[in-house]
Amino acid sequence: MFRKHTRRAAKAAFAISFGVALLIGLTACGGGGGKKTTSTSSATGPKPTITVGTKNFAEEFILGQLYGQALAAKGFKVTYKNNIGSSEVIDTAFKSGKINLYPEYTGVIALDLAKVKNPPKSATATYQAAKTFEQQSRGAALLKPTPFYDSDTFTMLTSTAKKDGLKTMSDLSKLKSFSYAALPECDQRITCILGMKTIYHLKNIKFVPLGNVSVYTLLDQGKATGGDGFSTDPLQLDPKYTALVDDKHIFGFQNVAPVVKQSLLTGANGALLENTLNAVSAKLTLPAMQAMNKAYYVNKATPKQIADGFLKANGLK
Amino acid sequence: MVASTFVDAFRFMPDHLSLLFEKTGETAELAFAALGIGVVIALPLGLWLGHRHRGLLLALGVSSLGRALPSVVLIGLGIGILGVGFWNNTVALVVLAIPPILTNAYFAMEGVDSDAVEAARGMGLTETQILVRVELPLGLPLLLAGLRIAAVFVIATATIAGIFGGGGLGDIMARQVTYGLSGVFAAAFWVAGLALLAAAAIALVQCAASRRMAPRT
Amino acid sequence: MTGFRLADGGGPVIPNFGQPSACLKHNGWFCTDWIGKHWGDTLQPALVQHIQLTLIAVGIGFAISFLLALIGFRWRLFDGPLGGLTDLLYAIPSLALFQLLVPLTGVTVTTVEIALVSYTLFILYRTMIAGLRAVPAEVLESARGMGLTRLQTFFRVELPLAAPAILAGLRIATVATISIATVAAFLIDDGLGAPIFAAIETPDLFKTELLATGVLAILLALVADALLAAAQRALTPWNRLR
Repeated sequence: MFRKHTRRAAKAAFAISFGVALLIGLTACGGGGGKKTTSTSSATGPKPTITVGTKNFAEEFILGQLYGQALAAKGFKVTYKNNIGSSEVIDTAFKSGKINLYPEYTGVIALDLAKVKNPPKSATATYQAAKTFEQQSRGAALLKPTPFYDSDTFTMLTSTAKKDGLKTMSDLSKLKSFSYAALPECDQRITCILGMKTIYHLKNIKFVPLGNVSVYTLLDQGKATGGDGFSTDPLQLDPKYTALVDDKHIFGFQNVAPVVKQSLLTGANGALLENTLNAVSAKLTLPAMQAMNKAYYVNKATPKQIADGFLKANGLK
Repeated sequence: MVASTFVDAFRFMPDHLSLLFEKTGETAELAFAALGIGVVIALPLGLWLGHRHRGLLLALGVSSLGRALPSVVLIGLGIGILGVGFWNNTVALVVLAIPPILTNAYFAMEGVDSDAVEAARGMGLTETQILVRVELPLGLPLLLAGLRIAAVFVIATATIAGIFGGGGLGDIMARQVTYGLSGVFAAAFWVAGLALLAAAAIALVQCAASRRMAPRT
Repeated sequence: MTGFRLADGGGPVIPNFGQPSACLKHNGWFCTDWIGKHWGDTLQPALVQHIQLTLIAVGIGFAISFLLALIGFRWRLFDGPLGGLTDLLYAIPSLALFQLLVPLTGVTVTTVEIALVSYTLFILYRTMIAGLRAVPAEVLESARGMGLTRLQTFFRVELPLAAPAILAGLRIATVATISIATVAAFLIDDGLGAPIFAAIETPDLFKTELLATGVLAILLALVADALLAAAQRALTPWNRLR
């Protein structure tokens, strides 16, 4: 009796393991779920592998795809590490060599990473400060910046702003207290709540950390007075929301530029890399980024598709 | 590395005592509201169905389905329907609490020795009297086991709500940027502590109840 | 724009990305056009990744639990500590465990797998030991009486008889792993959790993506449960229940 049962058990075990093996085989070949793009072979020698990193929001995903796909079209092997985290986290990943290219905002580098003493007074000055920092402290080059900029904002519901007569961020001193919703790093940054406290001298600010929920959702539900909408968000163009004027400029100048490991820029391949990335950056104007953000948020297209469409339309792919 | 975080966590706790108490309160509030509502919904239903020996498929189905519902999905649906706040997380947790309570209540009643039930019926007790005086005392261990499972599960899942603005100890665990790895570890300790407390409280109830509810006929 | 002019070639060509469907514009729950369009690039890859995550975690967890259960069963002395260890691992909330492992194994699939494996240990170890212990003493005695050695008794008597309980534990562990793996998206961009997180983070919450991915996750768990339940029934023709 035991032998019959053992045979039955053995059969069942065999069937299950066979099924599991089949499943593993199918999923390994079938879906693919590719984050890797295969490169087209090219004549200019073996090209280095580019690991593109992106921070934790949509615009970064799109930028990562734009730069990555343009390089892949030129024969580089490109892999992506998406959604790494905040500026500080991705900086750490870059330092440790987990990634060797990522798009960053000049103001973030200058003010939040380099923490320069006197905030630069122009976009060019900000870029220079950022470039120097990356060169000296990260062994990295900061390539040419984009025409567009995307800074943080103090976004409110237009109805609330009108009711309290708020037009600029200095006006916030009229309020006895208010709450501001932003990503967790905000309360330690001079480009965020820290700047509101020390540069605008605002008091009684309640920080509402964004827990994987959108700023605009929180504003709609009255969970915060103001929130950190990005200036290229499609909803910024919606009359329902207003961004207060940053008259003391704590949000800085925020053009985008690719941060690249110096070692990647040597030789013919390095020149090709630099030219390719600069060509992409040159085409990224404010209307272009707004259109691409809209395609993501409203049309629900994927960053991969959006970048593909843009690069093809501009002969970069 | 892990060892130093362990030590740091215990330094974090006295430094942030009021924060930890506040956050634990939020998690406890959420968990017990969900458990309370879950008990009100699932317990009577499970007890009655088990007593009548009806709805086995329902009990099994609910049990299987309950295990198959990822908490993130329920929390997300909660936000989508009810918006960010207290109730979206509560509803999600209620849905997760119901299966273990319902299933265990059912099997607790259904598994009671039929001889005892028949004897009681023979003595002329009403159905409700049989349920309360005979089946409930005998099935109490299994019932309370289900409640204990539900409590621990709900407390653990309430922390995931913290990722999506649900506050509580999950909020600390989701914000390593602000509280550091030691804070995350400390919050994890307090979650385990809260779960242990809840389990112990239920065990106490079981102790007291089994003493008072010796089967009477 | 602040001070940077365009390079040569003038302004960019902005392609027409089209208009969203009426369903998407109103953020409906069942925009089938989105599902059809994005099955290949979003939903299916996530599903495949999720299946892989689960299979690896349950496979490794089963192997480790089996070894531990053998030890705990053979030498009762170890049962207490081993049981306590698996209990402890389960008590650590997934969020915390993921982040705790990052300094050791980085922000990788490995970290997630280690956490998932440790959660399966709790369920599998206990059920395996319980299943092995549940073999009636009379059966063991008659096996001994027939002249089987200790080892033979184990492989030909105890293990087959414990198989249904072990399989029941495997069933629960698999479904639990599928569920917990959705939280992994907090750390890495893999599995069904990723579209769910992304949907919740979209302004106004992207309802179709949330529901479609959520339903996929639930279906996956139910299918796995049903398959293993069928296997369980095949092993125990005399035990139709559960």
